[in-house]
Amino acid sequence: MSITRRQFLGYATGAVTAGLPRLLPLDPTSRRCVLLDWNEHGCFRESVSGYESALTSAGAQWMRADARWMSPSRCAVLIVSAALEIPPPAIRAITSCLQTGASVIIESGAGFATDREFRAHRVVLRDYLQVHIEEPVDLWPDNSSQRIPYVDYTWPRPAKVRDFSRVVPLGRQAGEVIGWVEGLPVAFKRPGGRGNLIFLGSPLGPALWAGDAEARRWLLDCLGAAGGERV
Amino acid sequence: MKKAIGDNMIPKEWGFEKGLALVKQSGFDGIELWLGDVPWFQMGTADSEVRELRRKVENAGLVVSNVSTGLHWASPLSARDPKVRALAVRIVEREIETAVLLGTDAILLVAGLVTPEVPYNEVYQRCLEALRPLGEKAARAGVRIGCENCNAEQRFLISPREFWQFLNDVNSPAVGIHLDVGNIHDTGFAEQWIEIHGPRITRIHLKDVMTKRGRCGDQSVYTNLFLGDNNWPAIRGAMTKVGYDGWLVAEMEARYRYAPDQQFYDTAHAMDRLISGRF
Repeated sequence: MSITRRQFLGYATGAVTAGLPRLLPLDPTSRRCVLLDWNEHGCFRESVSGYESALTSAGAQWMRADARWMSPSRCAVLIVSAALEIPPPAIRAITSCLQTGASVIIESGAGFATDREFRAHRVVLRDYLQVHIEEPVDLWPDNSSQRIPYVDYTWPRPAKVRDFSRVVPLGRQAGEVIGWVEGLPVAFKRPGGRGNLIFLGSPLGPALWAGDAEARRWLLDCLGAAGGERV
Repeated sequence: MKKAIGDNMIPKEWGFEKGLALVKQSGFDGIELWLGDVPWFQMGTADSEVRELRRKVENAGLVVSNVSTGLHWASPLSARDPKVRALAVRIVEREIETAVLLGTDAILLVAGLVTPEVPYNEVYQRCLEALRPLGEKAARAGVRIGCENCNAEQRFLISPREFWQFLNDVNSPAVGIHLDVGNIHDTGFAEQWIEIHGPRITRIHLKDVMTKRGRCGDQSVYTNLFLGDNNWPAIRGAMTKVGYDGWLVAEMEARYRYAPDQQFYDTAHAMDRLISGRF
């Protein structure tokens, strides 16, 4: 996706004035966690399924919202899983949630993206969320690794989670690095608006989907720590 | 039971029609066509050309036993890259389409590959998610998908009960097992796989295996029928027990260095002995 700020604002304004229904009005008292669903536009359907499964099995209050049509509204935590092409309504929802004090977890799905997809992904993250990322890195370049390149999370609890073959490393930016793999920073957290932004450059959803207990514990602790409080 | 052999056994320099003549003359009833493994049957082979293959098979006095492919070794349904998975699904769809064109009702699929990079639980989940809709597609076409047990190479679904549970989880009558009695090595006993899977067996691949020899580099553990360690009387008995009366498909990995056509005759005769139970 290649859009300018002007195009984005025009699109967003147009969408509102076109009278798009608020398909999923969020009630913060009953729906604390919202999971953006990309439907067929998502690059890893299994990542969304992983979050669904983890949230459901943990008994969390959550709901799914269509990433293309989500109305900005209040929630405690917004999970943007396997993000690649991030449409303007989703960006609007992310920024709105941050402004209203929510925590937003953005999981990049750009590891297997084409060059063009990645460039668009990087531009949107940089221009609208001030998230700086580097080119994807293949952790298994010749399929001959002798050790598993686990992602080591340091916050909110130390955890080792299986890599997903390719990662999107972080560029230099504000925030605290909370995840490393092979010496590369791949996850950070930082305040954003009145809320918190957590960025994952290595998809967690597939590990959740595959039943990785450590990944599930990490997510739940993350939700607990990030659920509306400053992190 | 009927006997078939893969067209990938045909010496490349022979060509399809000469190969068909050999298959017929050596006593087989049918031929297994390998999508992507032979020059005459590729992903890009048009429907009209596939129909022409069928015509040649029938003109030779044979039928197509099933469609197989080795393309999933490079492009597995379990790949993490969504683009690779999409290609893998397309390969299965093309197998189904060509099976219909070729007048057969079974295809072979190597369902997933466990590797150091892609762990077992991911492979299991991805294969389920892929096979459920593919099973529906196959059922609509009147075709059964046989997931092959490639125990050593796939490192996936190693035991018959694991495989049974996997098929239960797929939960489609159109998805079963293409049982290779040579692939079990020393992880179990082919006759037990036959007993456990019974009606879910879509086709049976035949080859013998030397269970006391490890696969190392290019050294093959597979050999011709009756030369290895499979318990053939027990295998034959299990087929009778479960009422398997379908295709037996020879899949010899080791090839004769000289007189390659002789392997077709020898294999057909060995299969006759197996079918008749004269050991």
